[in-house]
Amino acid sequence: MATAKELSDFLAGVERRAFKQAQYAVRDADSALDIVQDAMMKLSEKYSDRPAAELPLLFTRILQNATYDFFRRQKVRSTWVTLFSALSPGNDDDNTDPLETLEAMAGSQAAESAQDQVERSQVVGIIEEEVARLPARQREAFLMRYWEDMDVAETASLMGCSEGSVKTHCSRATHSLARALRARGVTL
Amino acid sequence: MNEKEFGYQIRQALNEAAGQLDYKTTYRLEQARVAAVARHRAPTEAAAPAWAPAMQTAAGARSSEGGSRLGWFGSFGVAAPVLALVVGFIGIYQWQQQQALDERISHLAAMDFAVLMDETPIGAYADKGFGALLRGETEDL
Repeated sequence: MATAKELSDFLAGVERRAFKQAQYAVRDADSALDIVQDAMMKLSEKYSDRPAAELPLLFTRILQNATYDFFRRQKVRSTWVTLFSALSPGNDDDNTDPLETLEAMAGSQAAESAQDQVERSQVVGIIEEEVARLPARQREAFLMRYWEDMDVAETASLMGCSEGSVKTHCSRATHSLARALRARGVTL
Repeated sequence: MNEKEFGYQIRQALNEAAGQLDYKTTYRLEQARVAAVARHRAPTEAAAPAWAPAMQTAAGARSSEGGSRLGWFGSFGVAAPVLALVVGFIGIYQWQQQQALDERISHLAAMDFAVLMDETPIGAYADKGFGALLRGETEDL
């Protein structure tokens, strides 16, 4: 049974990654924050009796469901909007603002030259953009395997597909990502 | 570069991006975490039923050695309030019965007194129901 401290430590360790994953999926920082908050609440309220070791998988599943719920709600909302208004639901601007990244960088890597910092932050920004552009299932599989450090079986169980599908998704994501980054002049 | 190495490189970049979140976002995440942890149910609270009497909890806290002893105390702790409730209901029923009986007796006494003192309205003697009532009530007693 996870104690409050274990839960707090776990959430502190995953909250930023969870936010980023939600943001890649929904492409909106505020909605991503809401999704992460919902997922945290649900984990705490409904699964606090589970052992601490089960928290990572549970949280990933809850976060996934919260993201799907967001898309479902958005679909319903956009249906009503298109019914009653000829206006488009909103613009599809990318939320990645290079200036924002630059501000966040300030002071964090003092040893690097300003030019290196700018270049590195630009590369990180491009990688984030391209990860966000991946098809949802590919991105999900890729991030679970290589960011969440889950094995193929865990990823397959969370995604509700076979292990072979997970491998295929990951392979396709890797190739698409590598191609897109090359096209934008980024070499890893 | 194979898939694993590529994945590792991407992971580095994503970790870097996650580490560079602005203050507003990290603050909101922290608030969300604190709110979620505040709703965390302590294991003991989650395990104990909400209606468990204080005696059971006290007994459990005092003696950690015997599971069976705790179980006996637990059963007693549940049974005692139920028993008290049943005894209470029976007591209330008996008291109500007694009250009803006393009321009937005093009512009859009042009527007898009225008859003896000649305070009964004359019309009452002409009413057949009055006589029947007097006879019926007297027979009941």
